[in-house]
Amino acid sequence: MIYLDYSATTPVDKGVLDSFNKTCLDFIGNPNSFHILGVKSNELINNATKQIANLLKVKENEIIYTSGSSESNNLAIKGIMLKYQNRGKHIITTAFEHSSIYGPISYLETLGFEYDFVDVDEKGQVDLKHLKSLLREDTILVSINSVNSEIGMIQPISEIAKILESYPKCFFHSDMTQSMGKIDIPLDGVDLVSFSAHKFFGLKGIGCLIKKDKILLEPLIHGGKSTTIFRSGTPALPLIVSLAKALRLAYTDIDNNLIKVKEYNDYLKEKLEKYPKVKINSNDICSPYVLNLSIIGVKPETFVHALEKDDIFISTQSACSTTNTASKAVLALTNDIERANSSIRISLSYVTTKEELDTFLKVFEKCYYSLVKDSKK
Amino acid sequence: MKIIRINAVWCSGCLVMNKVWKEVEQIYPQLEIINYDYDMDYDFVKELKVGDVLPVAIFYHNNNEIKRLIGEKSKQEIIMVINKIEEVKNENN
Repeated sequence: MIYLDYSATTPVDKGVLDSFNKTCLDFIGNPNSFHILGVKSNELINNATKQIANLLKVKENEIIYTSGSSESNNLAIKGIMLKYQNRGKHIITTAFEHSSIYGPISYLETLGFEYDFVDVDEKGQVDLKHLKSLLREDTILVSINSVNSEIGMIQPISEIAKILESYPKCFFHSDMTQSMGKIDIPLDGVDLVSFSAHKFFGLKGIGCLIKKDKILLEPLIHGGKSTTIFRSGTPALPLIVSLAKALRLAYTDIDNNLIKVKEYNDYLKEKLEKYPKVKINSNDICSPYVLNLSIIGVKPETFVHALEKDDIFISTQSACSTTNTASKAVLALTNDIERANSSIRISLSYVTTKEELDTFLKVFEKCYYSLVKDSKK
Repeated sequence: MKIIRINAVWCSGCLVMNKVWKEVEQIYPQLEIINYDYDMDYDFVKELKVGDVLPVAIFYHNNNEIKRLIGEKSKQEIIMVINKIEEVKNENN
């Protein structure tokens, strides 16, 4: 099996799973219990939180554990907009976000909140001039991801944060699900950061919202203090410990991993762009972990299933629905409906091997010549 | 004129079009616009044979479908459709 869908999710690392299992068996106490079992569990949670805080260079009390990025995004957006609605009711985002950004905005719209979409340039990066022009007196939140999941555009997070310094009433949230543990993006100037462990070999069901110390949020789940007053529920100790472990592993060699993946990405790009009907959609500002391309005239799901027959797994990624849909992101970036109708996403990891890529390329060639009309080897 | 709009909460294009439709409604306050959610109202949406591209706006006259707009459209495009349907209605009257 060759797995090249790491942006969707990653398999769990064995060491991470061991940490989870060990914590499940050895730390049975509720961290909020006063007896010794609770105290031990509480100590472990504090150690895990300390590790995460050190890795991300944030304070321990700035970490809110959630079930994953969708919850983190919901908590950030609804939490800020509802808590600070006396300051304003306007939010700015982009058209290249995860659906868990649009969901809460759609909900808030029904409560009278307003929103705007900031334009992107020809490469898909946020148009900073347009962002400045959209900022209003009543804008209280800007939410822009660090890396787009479909094509991989990296957004200028530090530059956006710098612009927002002049707007003290406006908070900056970034969904960093696709960059966390892969690209070391500084969190300076970002008020709220979402991420999920399963994107970097952690377990499904645990994520974080990093929230600057003094900022308040309206909780999604009310019920009193847990590890934080902003998210109630018995702390998921084994998941939290496994998250700390996965993050530590991801950060161990983050820069070298990025170099390795960049080499893989360049290698694939060089081989694939030789096919006349292949158009590479990911550009030079994109994360090397993502390679989006179109095979003109071939339905994405047809190509994905053809590869699947040889045990190779990639994905299609559609902006607005599940199947047969033109990719809004590819359309916005290339202005080419044919490309938008035929885009596929290959997503890489540092555990990918050159041998896997060579096998993938062989199978790709076979599928290409069998599915692309009038193509001859 | 009755218009059925089909949106989904996870769809950025639907959010874009919500703003456009608000402006259209200000110009044509007499429009009867009914909103359906692609997921929550799925049974009804299925009957309308809505594909996988959202948002969708279906224009009706006397309960007959006259026109369907799929995807993001400009305010001007919507106004043109409304005006054209109104013209045909007037001619028929």
